Amino acid sequence: MTTLAVSLSAFGRPEFWIGVGILVAIYAILTLGLQLNIGYTGIYNFGQVGFMAIGAYAMAILVVEAGWSFWLALPGATLVAVAFAVLLGLPTLRLRTHYFAIATIAFAEIVRYVAQNADGLTGGSQGMLGFEITWQTIAASLQDQLGLAPQLSLVPLLIVAWVTLAVLFAVLLALGRSPWGRMLRAVREDEDAVRALGKNAYAYKLQSFAVAGAVGAVSGYLLALYLSFLSPEAFLASVTFISFAMLIVGGLGSFPGVVLGAVIVQVVLEGTRYLQLPLTDFQVASLRYILIGLILILVMALRPQGILGRREEMVLGG
Amino acid sequence: MRYRAVAMGLAAAVALVLVGGVGGVAQATVNGLTSGAIFALGAVGLSLVYGSLRLINFAHGDFLTFGAYAAFLANVTLGLPLVTAALVALAATGLVSVGMELGMWRPMRARGAGALQLILMAIGLAFVVRYSIAFVAGPQPRRLEVDVTSSYGFLGGLRIGQTELWVTLIAFAVLAGVVVLLRSSRLGKQMRALSDDLDLAETTGVDTGRVILVIWAFAGVLAGLAGVLYASALGSFDPNVGFIILLSLFAAVILGGMGSAYGALLGGLTIGLVQEWSTLLIDGRWKLVIGFAVLVVVLTLRPEGFFGSRRRV
Amino acid sequence: MAEGPILTVEDVYVRFGGVHAVDGAGFQVQRGSVTALIGPNGAGKTTLFKVLTGFQRSERGHVIYDGARVTRRGPHAIAARGMVRTFQLTKTLAALTVLENMLIAAQRHPGERLTTVFARPRAWRRRESEACAQALELLDTFGLADKAGDHAGTPSGGQRKLLELARALMVEPRLLLLDEPMAGVNPSLGRRLLEHMERLRVEQGVTFLFIEHDMEVVMNHSDRVIVMADGRVIADGEPQAVRADRRVIDAYLGTRREEPAA
Repeated sequence: MTTLAVSLSAFGRPEFWIGVGILVAIYAILTLGLQLNIGYTGIYNFGQVGFMAIGAYAMAILVVEAGWSFWLALPGATLVAVAFAVLLGLPTLRLRTHYFAIATIAFAEIVRYVAQNADGLTGGSQGMLGFEITWQTIAASLQDQLGLAPQLSLVPLLIVAWVTLAVLFAVLLALGRSPWGRMLRAVREDEDAVRALGKNAYAYKLQSFAVAGAVGAVSGYLLALYLSFLSPEAFLASVTFISFAMLIVGGLGSFPGVVLGAVIVQVVLEGTRYLQLPLTDFQVASLRYILIGLILILVMALRPQGILGRREEMVLGG
Repeated sequence: MRYRAVAMGLAAAVALVLVGGVGGVAQATVNGLTSGAIFALGAVGLSLVYGSLRLINFAHGDFLTFGAYAAFLANVTLGLPLVTAALVALAATGLVSVGMELGMWRPMRARGAGALQLILMAIGLAFVVRYSIAFVAGPQPRRLEVDVTSSYGFLGGLRIGQTELWVTLIAFAVLAGVVVLLRSSRLGKQMRALSDDLDLAETTGVDTGRVILVIWAFAGVLAGLAGVLYASALGSFDPNVGFIILLSLFAAVILGGMGSAYGALLGGLTIGLVQEWSTLLIDGRWKLVIGFAVLVVVLTLRPEGFFGSRRRV
Repeated sequence: MAEGPILTVEDVYVRFGGVHAVDGAGFQVQRGSVTALIGPNGAGKTTLFKVLTGFQRSERGHVIYDGARVTRRGPHAIAARGMVRTFQLTKTLAALTVLENMLIAAQRHPGERLTTVFARPRAWRRRESEACAQALELLDTFGLADKAGDHAGTPSGGQRKLLELARALMVEPRLLLLDEPMAGVNPSLGRRLLEHMERLRVEQGVTFLFIEHDMEVVMNHSDRVIVMADGRVIADGEPQAVRADRRVIDAYLGTRREEPAA
């Protein structure tokens, strides 16, 4: 359950909050892609964690197995994720929303399953190590330059994560406001109307899906660097649904809402640490998932537009 | 289309026999019938609910888990005999299922909830059910009081565990009962009608509210039964047991055609068999991927399924 | 300038279950003409429109638009070539503003291409202001300019009808297929609509084919009338001639002999 909440035991110390900050950024990036798909384009991408996994593993494989430079592996792995998005999207995006949702869940599970069982390629459950050497050098030099104490070794990653989030946020916000973004919103409303006006609705859906895949891959790299160790356990389907919880708390259709939602949900999850009840670790972890479930149910039942979304945005038919 | 499929099927059968031998294929078939029957039980309810309410109940797998744990509670903790415990589990799951309809789905439908809202609520429900069970019961694998060691040999070389034999027989008996119910009883016909076309059924004067409750109860009871049987056949189970086979259930439902109960039944059997046969060709740990792969392939080639009716996609 | 009819329809045949929605329809539409397509309910007019614009497949036959076969083309390709339809039940996008509804119809917009959104900002901003100006002008013609910033779900039914038409005109079509353009529109606005259509026809050579039930419009504002009944074209000619045609009168009064079940 490492990717659900920071698992450091001493939560009073700064390292803990730095870890939380990194996770918030990672989840926010993942959810930005989800917002583009669900909030703007109306395609129910329930497999976003699959792109996170592909990005992370592709990067690690390129660095560790193929000996690529870290700097080449990043764009390379992004392309791999985009390729998967296109391959998956081509046959499935013409299906009805429900079928597409199931297909994407199946995709993410297949990815995780392959990561778990293709020992030769991905190290299976033993995982992968050794892809972060370049990063460690950079992080160490940043740490020197900023004069940070040794226990604040995660601060460079925190900075990089939030800078990345800021950049991607700006990019997606601009895309959302552009005519391309307008077309996505039109596709969400009524694909046939869009086609009747000479525009290729299917192509827009595919592009949106590909962008979400790319963004998901980026969140994958950051997670890999944070964990220093890649294992299939980090990419369970529940990650997608935590991301959904963040999405709907922040509000559909709002990119700022994504960041807000990520912060709120992560804080709620971390708050379970403060429970003074005599619970085992496993029970606390289970409680976190119960909270996610309750968030999903209650927000959808009581305030489907979340905090920054608008009621009209929620009129999403079947 | 049909002829091509049959031809491919025969080719695959020949390939299997060449690789695994007749004995291997026969054993895999026996195993496949067991798991297939369980999948069928789980898939029928899922399909009926989707057909009538256009709701993909992501929590269905966790109803299976609920059934298994309810049986455990009754059987191991409370010491009731297994059959009684199973019946208790079925009743409990059916009640929870109906309770969810009355407490959650019906009010949301009345408020005009959209598809995304319902899907996310179903997922939220899945989490709540699964992790509440985990919270209470803990992660350690549990076992029902079943005999997992004795087995029968038959037909020269084939083996089936005693428990698995019972599970298979019960599952098929119930499936036969389900078919009879759906085919001949008025309620069964009404359920099928609703699942086929809810609006049309409404115009024919059927009390859709009542039939929907019956569908949920039906789905819940079958899921609970599937859970108990699966837990018995597997030997040990943990809170994830239902979710793990959920995608295989989806594959079965889609293969059979969403909304078609008979389709789900045949789809379940097919998925079970295909998964077991695949172990002759590839390593057993890829079994579940077969289910997912079938799902993606069917969605790509023939989203309306093979056994159901033609529209709806 | 191109020659020949702008639209040739031959042997279109569409079946739903056991019913022939369109049962061997064929006709031609000349450039710059205004043609009315009429017939009793269920005659297959809207289904025919769907086939023409690529939303429905015909089992056989073909559709030739502007010299090119478009029978199996996708709807967006056909619309982009200039054959644009409006819908009987308006498809205004309620979550977008009225102006945004118009802007999505602008063709060849670099801002809509993912590859050029960041690469060529000046190019698409130019097109965007061009499209905005064009959109506002069209909205003004139809009396919707003051609603430009409102969500498209808020105007009345008749106004949404006009929006749908204005939006179709943004595509700069050469052949406009209008499905009941006058339905729900008040008479004075309807007159403006007809005036605008006439202007487009004269100034830009736009061709019109419209489905209509309002006989006043059909008789007084169209060059040709095509009559459909039971999926077939039963009359095709000048308004006065068609009105007097026995078969047309029979079709509307329903005094035909019983059709054998298909």
